[in-house]
Amino acid sequence: MIRKSKIELSSPEYWRSLEQLADDPEFRSYLENEFPSTAPALDAPLDRRRMLALMGASFAFAGLAACRRPVEHIVPYVDAPENIVPGIPKHYATTMPDGLTGYGLLVESHEGRPTKIEGNEQHPSTRGASHPHHQAAILSLYDPDRSHDVLHNGQVSDWEAFKTAWQQWSESFAPDGGLGMAVLSTSFSSPTLHRLAEAFKARLPDALWATYDAVSEENRVKGLKLATNQDLQYRPRLENARVVLALDCDFLGLEPDSVSNARGWAEGRQVSAPQDDMSRLYAAESVLSLTGSNADHRLPLKSGQIGALAAALASELAAQGVAVEVPPNASASAVEGMTDDTFLKSAVSDLVSAGRQGLVLCGRNQPPQVHALVYAINQALGANGSTVEYYPLQDAYASDIDSLKQMAAAVEDGSVDTLIILGGNPVYNAPRDLRFSRLMEPLTTVHVADRVDETSILADWHIPLAHFLESWGDVRTSSGELSITQPLIEPLYGAVSMAQVMGLMADDQDLPGYQRVRQTWGPLLQGQGDEETEWRRTLHDGILAADPPAPVNPPYVSGAAGEMPVAVSQSDREMELVLVPSYGVGDGSGANNAWLQELPDPVTKLVWDNAAILSPATAEELGVEKGDNVLLKHEGGVVELPAWIQPGQADGSVTVALGYGRSRSGRVGDGVGRNAYLLKHSQSPDFGPNLIVENTPRRSQLVSTQDHGSMEGRHIVQWGTLEEFRQHPEFAETHTPQTQLYPEHDYSKSPQWGMVIDLNLCTGCNACVTACQSENNVPVVGKTQVSHGREMHWIRIDRYFGGPTSNPSGAFQPMPCQHCENAPCEQVCPVAATVHDSEGVNVMVYNRCIGTRYCSNNCPYKVRRFNFFNYTQQRPEVAKMAANPDVTVRSRGVMEKCSFCLQRISAGKKQAKREGRSLRDGDVITACQQSCPTGAIVFGDITDPQSRVSQAKTQPRNYILLGELNNRPRNSYLARLRHPHPDLEAKRNEAMEAPPEPAHEEAPAHGAPASHGGGGA
Amino acid sequence: MAAAVAGGMWYFFSPEYTDVGYAPVQPVPYSHALHAGQMEIDCRYCHASVEKSAAAVIPPTQTCMNCHQLVLRDSPKLAPLVDSSTSKNHMRWVRVHDLPQYAYFDHSSHVLKGVGCVSCHGRIDQMEVVHQVKPLSMAWCLDCHRNPGPHLRPLNEVTNMNWMPPSDPQEHEAFIQSAMAERNINPPVDCSGCHR
Repeated sequence: MIRKSKIELSSPEYWRSLEQLADDPEFRSYLENEFPSTAPALDAPLDRRRMLALMGASFAFAGLAACRRPVEHIVPYVDAPENIVPGIPKHYATTMPDGLTGYGLLVESHEGRPTKIEGNEQHPSTRGASHPHHQAAILSLYDPDRSHDVLHNGQVSDWEAFKTAWQQWSESFAPDGGLGMAVLSTSFSSPTLHRLAEAFKARLPDALWATYDAVSEENRVKGLKLATNQDLQYRPRLENARVVLALDCDFLGLEPDSVSNARGWAEGRQVSAPQDDMSRLYAAESVLSLTGSNADHRLPLKSGQIGALAAALASELAAQGVAVEVPPNASASAVEGMTDDTFLKSAVSDLVSAGRQGLVLCGRNQPPQVHALVYAINQALGANGSTVEYYPLQDAYASDIDSLKQMAAAVEDGSVDTLIILGGNPVYNAPRDLRFSRLMEPLTTVHVADRVDETSILADWHIPLAHFLESWGDVRTSSGELSITQPLIEPLYGAVSMAQVMGLMADDQDLPGYQRVRQTWGPLLQGQGDEETEWRRTLHDGILAADPPAPVNPPYVSGAAGEMPVAVSQSDREMELVLVPSYGVGDGSGANNAWLQELPDPVTKLVWDNAAILSPATAEELGVEKGDNVLLKHEGGVVELPAWIQPGQADGSVTVALGYGRSRSGRVGDGVGRNAYLLKHSQSPDFGPNLIVENTPRRSQLVSTQDHGSMEGRHIVQWGTLEEFRQHPEFAETHTPQTQLYPEHDYSKSPQWGMVIDLNLCTGCNACVTACQSENNVPVVGKTQVSHGREMHWIRIDRYFGGPTSNPSGAFQPMPCQHCENAPCEQVCPVAATVHDSEGVNVMVYNRCIGTRYCSNNCPYKVRRFNFFNYTQQRPEVAKMAANPDVTVRSRGVMEKCSFCLQRISAGKKQAKREGRSLRDGDVITACQQSCPTGAIVFGDITDPQSRVSQAKTQPRNYILLGELNNRPRNSYLARLRHPHPDLEAKRNEAMEAPPEPAHEEAPAHGAPASHGGGGA
Repeated sequence: MAAAVAGGMWYFFSPEYTDVGYAPVQPVPYSHALHAGQMEIDCRYCHASVEKSAAAVIPPTQTCMNCHQLVLRDSPKLAPLVDSSTSKNHMRWVRVHDLPQYAYFDHSSHVLKGVGCVSCHGRIDQMEVVHQVKPLSMAWCLDCHRNPGPHLRPLNEVTNMNWMPPSDPQEHEAFIQSAMAERNINPPVDCSGCHR
């Protein structure tokens, strides 16, 4: 027995839905027995007369059946819970833990059913915005493949049985102080878990404790320790930065705290008038990341050369009079792959003049020495305490691969016989050379996990772990704030929280998670007035109101960084492997989340897959084309992956996204992509040289939602430099015909809805895409359907490349329905299923739609989506609980598209009416707008001249898309700006292919033009 | 003939024919005529969220037991209710006024603007068994949305089933005019008013 058959939750009784009706056995039998007398007649041989009679009868029956009322039940509460008004959602603050930090969230709950996650405005980690992973957590909550039972040797057991087993271990291990027991946890930063872990260690001091994350902050923590002799967390303060140099650091994308980073970065990129200044971003990195795509200047460089670049940077800074210790092996010529030092020189001159408004960031893939050197550089610039702050690493267990190695060694030599694995999935994601599955074999193992995954299946005990929306817990964020994780719902499948498990380990007592957290918080709330009041206030706010801890700024320990790790023989021929988490599924824990699988990678736009990312030159050298399978061999591991050719990738560097190739994640994630952890070696866990790439005769289908990055010479993303903007503020202006044949609509009544998207702020992070999916019940269609262009996202992000093909810069353009005043879709609909309402919203009437798809064909923006199949009905029953009850679930054969969040408009208007006032700016916030970390999306009433959206539309950068068509879209864009260094810009223009083009004309990146839009297939 | 068929379908397949008069048997033979009519309990005592939320709600068992804890507790007719109260099993009432799932009706918007309960639900206070009196079809909704005036009443008479508009047409017209202006009555007739 491997796994209990999956239990489908029958739909709970506390809300009404059509699905519920359809599954009601009473209704079923009623349907089936509706006309039982006709059944035998069908068995008899048919003659013409009989046939006609039956046809007539069935016609009549069909009519009758259609108008017969299905019996629907109303199931009220027995005892109404306090403060719940059915139909009005409640919002609760909670915190999503993530490694050494956590994100403050606000969760919407409909009659006890969480449906939507937003950022918590009072929480500095999100300030009201969110990340795709936050948004998608709601779907993970309702994942039917999460485990339902405690398993013991594969058999269904229960929590009581495990408790008994634990008591026995506890007694037998106690005399030896825990000798022979080992614990492997993932990293955490939580007062409660820390307290319990310490209590466990005090009781069993000789038990081994290892902490390991597949994707971790380990290098940074170790680097800061090296630099300062202190355990520190770092938090960039990009709002204070004028010049940022990111060294292999995707601070806008894959690094922790990307939401607050993007917020801060956006503050420095706000340009409303020509005299405004803008920060400048340099990036040196191996793979084209979100940060690199948004950089003003980018240097493609192998990850193995970043250390050398940092050393050269220190040396150059010292030459410019900055008091920084230069590593002994520093030299600009030692940086292989850097053809000339203009990038370095420009960055240095900018950093020197910015001083404490400069900032150098080092990515978590880089070894500790580089982090230490970057600390020294920031210290010398005066950036520490200004553009980056450091906080003591408290209440935390940080990942340390050495502890995992020690534990493995202890198991090898037989000194461990019992292993408790708290979270994580080491069989899947531990370095391959540790051979974790073989390690587990002789041991008695316990695995606490949310599903019976690759590790649990090999463990003796599996304990189901509750989702964070089901558990009590707490988090200390990277900037030291204390916040609470509170449950929104009882565990759906009877899982236990980590606090409960670790509590049992700490003192053999089985106390609820609430009690464990409350005990921890007693002392934390001291001196804050009445304890219970403060506790409740903290629960309400999601964060402790007390003063946040002050940042620290310890001096750099002289000589700490030492020599930079520069690979000895980095020849051009030698290939490098870089492992990065996936933008979608992360380290693999999101693999069974269909929203994340179908979320296009922001740069490659790949869905449902990972690939070996090669630069065009490397691919040519290897003779590999897109989709050709290649064998990657690294330190004994072999993985076959399809190649993806990405302009901007450093030559000789191959990047593979982790998190795919799961075998036991569940029905969605199993077998999607290939497992790149097989290439991970404990000596070089993040990147390493000596990669061998071999061609194979095989090919795989890679599906990308936007195969090419060229605008084909059209001015879709208007793009200029800050200098050009200053000279021609209205460079983006589009010509709109003033006359038209059709009669004018009446748009005089207030409000009239409109939207502005600032392309200068959009980082392409995909938060809006997932937020929209969650808010508007947007279905997932799967890889095959996406390959036919049938993805359903109501807002997509178009990604374009500009500049030289070897080193392009990216531009991201969120593309929801443009809500044209002269909508081309409306004119071709034969049944008036898409019409304008009096507030200027182009609305889609699902019940009228007959599925001709003419509208989609006639939409110049390709934003209309067609339900080719009944995607929503195929969802597991429990996943339907994630749906927003305020939005219709669409059926097969119906067109759909962005509605400007009509349900939110309606809610805003009703709220204003109930309060007896008129609508105010900000009463209606669309889902995409709310989630956007940079505030790039502004929505509101365009008839109110004071509204933010009206103000934005008066900016000189404002333009509408394809204005020459006279569609008069309600959506407009603010042109994107680059802020290049003059020296580098000159070089860039040289590198651009002839004939030279103006800066906003984009050179085609690669690939043939492919029409790819919704519903066209 | 064709006209007769078309006319027949027009009428017999419409909610006017199929839905009006629908009076399902409820688990407890609750009489609105007794509670709302004879005893004059205000609608909002049970349908408590009607002024706050889209849903008027069927009351929780608790609300019934506020009185029936003492009154007729042992009546066999109330057995399911008492059982629900002790066993905590939910009551399963049968929905009478049933709008399609894609129509988003909001009670509070209507009640707060002075549309009386009786306008859509009829003389509930005289019904032993609740039945549907209006077709609740889209055309019927739109009739009022296009001309809401005649259906308005003073805000404090919303739940009063006996309220009659002023018999003097001029007086009524004046009331309509002032109510429309004061309450900013502007019901949507766009698709997006009710469907999303």
